Amino acid sequence: MTRRETLATLMGKKKTTSSKQERQASNITLSSYTGSWSNEQAAHLLRRTMYGATKEQIEEATQNGMMNTINQLLSSKNRPNPPINYNEPLDIYAPIGQTWVEKPLIGEGNKVRASRTRSLYAWTIKNMMEEGMSIIEKMTLFWHNHFPIEINVVNDPRFIYKYSSLIREYALGNFKALVKKMTLNVAMLRYLNGNQNTKQSPNENYARELLELFTIGKGALAGSGDYTTFTETDVAAMAKILTGWIDRGYNTYDPSRNIEAIFVPNRHETGNKQLSHRFNNVVISNADEQEYSNLIDVIFEQEEVSKFICRKLYRWFVYYEVSPEEEAHIITPLAQILRDNNYEIKPVLEALFNSEHFYHNDNIGCLIKNPLDFFMDIFKKFNIQLPDSLITKYQIWFSIFGITPVLQMSYFNPPNVAGWKAFYQEPLFNRIWINSSTLKFRLDIISYMVYVGIDEGGDQNILIDVLDFVSRLQSPEDPNELIKEIAQIIFIKPVTNEQVTYLKNFIIPGLPDFEWTVEYSDYLSHPDDMQIRVSVENKLKSLINTMLSMPEFQLS
Amino acid sequence: MNRRQFLQSSSALSLPILLNGIPLSVLIQPQAFRSIEDDNDKVLVLIQLQGGNDGLNTLIPLDQYDNLANVRSNIIIPESKILPLSETLGFHPSMSALKNLYSEGKIGLLQSVGYPNQNRSHFRSTDIWNTGSAADEFLTTGWVGRYFDTKHSNYPDGYPNNDYPDPFALSIGYLVSETCQGYATNYSLAMTDPAQLGTLPEGALGSTPNNPYGEELTFLRQAIQQTNAYSETIINAANNATNLSSKYEDNNNLAQQLKVVAQLVAGGLQTKVYVVSLGGFDTHANQIQGETTEGDHANLLARLSTAVEAFQDDLKLLGLEDRVLGVTISEFGRKIRSNFSNGTDHGTAAPLMLFGSCVNPTIIGDNPTIDTAVGEEEGVPMQYDFRSVYGSILIDWFGVEESQIRGLLYDDFQHLPILSCRVTDTTNPHELDINLTAYPNPFDNHINIKFSLSQSEQIRLSIYNTLGHEVKMLSNRTLPSGTHDISIETHNFPSGHYYYRIQAGNRQKTGKIIKL
Repeated sequence: MTRRETLATLMGKKKTTSSKQERQASNITLSSYTGSWSNEQAAHLLRRTMYGATKEQIEEATQNGMMNTINQLLSSKNRPNPPINYNEPLDIYAPIGQTWVEKPLIGEGNKVRASRTRSLYAWTIKNMMEEGMSIIEKMTLFWHNHFPIEINVVNDPRFIYKYSSLIREYALGNFKALVKKMTLNVAMLRYLNGNQNTKQSPNENYARELLELFTIGKGALAGSGDYTTFTETDVAAMAKILTGWIDRGYNTYDPSRNIEAIFVPNRHETGNKQLSHRFNNVVISNADEQEYSNLIDVIFEQEEVSKFICRKLYRWFVYYEVSPEEEAHIITPLAQILRDNNYEIKPVLEALFNSEHFYHNDNIGCLIKNPLDFFMDIFKKFNIQLPDSLITKYQIWFSIFGITPVLQMSYFNPPNVAGWKAFYQEPLFNRIWINSSTLKFRLDIISYMVYVGIDEGGDQNILIDVLDFVSRLQSPEDPNELIKEIAQIIFIKPVTNEQVTYLKNFIIPGLPDFEWTVEYSDYLSHPDDMQIRVSVENKLKSLINTMLSMPEFQLS
Repeated sequence: MNRRQFLQSSSALSLPILLNGIPLSVLIQPQAFRSIEDDNDKVLVLIQLQGGNDGLNTLIPLDQYDNLANVRSNIIIPESKILPLSETLGFHPSMSALKNLYSEGKIGLLQSVGYPNQNRSHFRSTDIWNTGSAADEFLTTGWVGRYFDTKHSNYPDGYPNNDYPDPFALSIGYLVSETCQGYATNYSLAMTDPAQLGTLPEGALGSTPNNPYGEELTFLRQAIQQTNAYSETIINAANNATNLSSKYEDNNNLAQQLKVVAQLVAGGLQTKVYVVSLGGFDTHANQIQGETTEGDHANLLARLSTAVEAFQDDLKLLGLEDRVLGVTISEFGRKIRSNFSNGTDHGTAAPLMLFGSCVNPTIIGDNPTIDTAVGEEEGVPMQYDFRSVYGSILIDWFGVEESQIRGLLYDDFQHLPILSCRVTDTTNPHELDINLTAYPNPFDNHINIKFSLSQSEQIRLSIYNTLGHEVKMLSNRTLPSGTHDISIETHNFPSGHYYYRIQAGNRQKTGKIIKL
């Protein structure tokens, strides 16, 4: 026993290290997974790569096998149609039903801008809802968390759309190319003050985050202003290298004005810029509008860049703690794959999802759902149907978006430039999502979707149709099977007999099992008898509400 | 292996450093470790000013005004608008409510608080302030959490209980506070509004496998059980009391957070630490808009000022003034020179404010020296280490033995006279009268630092560069009485400005020196 373990034992603490770290290193390998491919593995893969995979999608993935499913998830996809104006008559350049993404502001600009922002918000929900068997949306969110921007700082929906299109286009693309594009993205130029970075007065904000958060990461302090991976001198030099760029078209009313990044030569520092020994003392000489690209090439020569992003992908898709063994046997080879493929992301993900390690029992169900995962699971796993009208759908999507801020994760509103805390803050990581307030909100939302629903102004609210959901199960008339089947769809591990007994109280309190069979069969024979229908429905609502409220549902 | 190596080697989950120096026998018998502080009814409110507050535009050194106006001409507050606190210091004009509180003796200020080897990353520096670590130490427990760990080594097992029915810490908001991270779990509950608390269904316990899935499940179950267990006491406390001040502004989020705190304290909740926050201090751009007295920073300071005013007013009306101490913390100050975007970039030290009727109602520390030749990167050098503030609060407010503080925080702990109610040493210990001179200054290949000690004393003497990095430690040992003249070889020093800082017991002095 090491000193640390001894002391911890004496203190009576339970968690000395995570049980994962104590496990043998045998599973820590990128070799191809050769174990069985069943519902369990297929569901795990889809949980981590998609939002709210349905029973049918999991069955399809089980049938198709691992390789086919991975290929399907990682295949490219048509870009979603751009967001439309769904309720603002004042936006006359973009009448209702048409997109505004290429249109200037008009008239009462603030109202038009607010309506476009709502449309953009709704559109993010739409994209997650309609992703199909694809990893693109989860990777888009990954990049949004990696290169965050905040809409309260960049308050122009057209700018945000350009940013959003960029990260979606490069979701599975080339990381180095994405960093180059992001450096000149109009929204990012504004967010991190790149547009105020001039030779007269360099602004270090973007240069610092480019290193610390976007590419190489910040290592341990090794000396004055030296963070092992880069130094303060590099920040200052890189700020100068990046001088000269401005954005154009911010909140413009001018139809002839394009939204673009422009290089202004007289704002650019043309002298030589000396980088530190952390970048081999490279001198970057003037290359005007190509200089930023030369700089990023220099940064990407450091192997640490590939490790930094692979660690972040690992935390996103596998588990929040990276042990030294995982660093050696998973991160390092993944980073090698990334470099061998000139920083293409897709081969890295292929290797990861193909690996023994990804499907190891330790890595199944060990993440707490982020708020979007949580909400999408409720919506999609229960096949909640929306009306046909696109305009109405946008209204509903916007209503759904309105739920995300209370759960502490809404698109284009990360807390700061490091992204959401749950993805980086030690030691809690994804446990940060859960506390007295947010847990209460999560459970309130479950009840809301089971009992109340979203009011879209139509005859019926949008909510879980428990009767329809249950009718598609194999044996809904058997209370034990009913509970086990629901559990298989919404939980990761099977429910215990003890839990089944507890849950039966919600449908047949104090009654023998056959009474459920009688009641449910009665409903099936007389589906229009409101008395029977309502009583069966209420029982099922109570059961499903309880099951969704169990902590098991919070895991991914 | 010394403590630092030990901590660095255990990166994922470090042991609380409080273990150092505390006999294990004490830890095995937690009851024996209980001390008088169990009866202590004091409450600490931490206000996090997120983003790094610009101290130089908050507490403005009037004796440096001309030079300050020179290096931050685009954001300098007109001299006539500054609210004077003393002949040489004044508040930003948005802080009139705090100026009144200062006049009433309810504000204490400590100049230039930071730490050696300042890190200018928000995230890292916030971690440092929350954990109470050194710049090169990676701790995963918060300083408040470690303090609670010394008393409740089994937490959360068996809590709440009859002796401790209330949560130890509450974070008003949606996130638990990293300051309260203990070894096993976080001591703070996050809560926005007591009226929103309710009972969460616990479901049926299934098996919890011994793997990461089981660990997360256990965490979730505990979160539910604890919320349920504590929510009743919180709701009862909220129902027991009504705020009495009419000064809380509806549109001031910080005021609303503090209002909840006052209500819960008044309602009898025995929670010891509350954490509230005000974001937006990362004023790289638009720190001022139009007039230099207006803009983002002015609005933030106004919000802080009126929120604290309302809170203090409420505490007075509720008869709780003597029980509550407030402290503002922020991850760093900002650079001395303003930038081209009417803003300021990440810097080094900044003033820290304490409020309540128990504070030592004065300004401790020297004004920073502003030089028109100040470098672009330069921040305000540190005079006081933030860990000395934390440690002094633990001693004088929560009654922790001074002997424990070094283990909980750091070896160079300095007991600061920031509280008047319980402070033991009320002389002016920050004055270090040792005939200190540095010569020649400016210097070239060497500099001498000369001082006289009237008695043998532990002396820590270091030289820092303008980034706040400790470039040379000259002494960290006990020196005999008499005159000391320490000569330092400096030909390796790059030209520019440096600071020396000498600390003897509770006293310290900082001075500027220039390498040619």
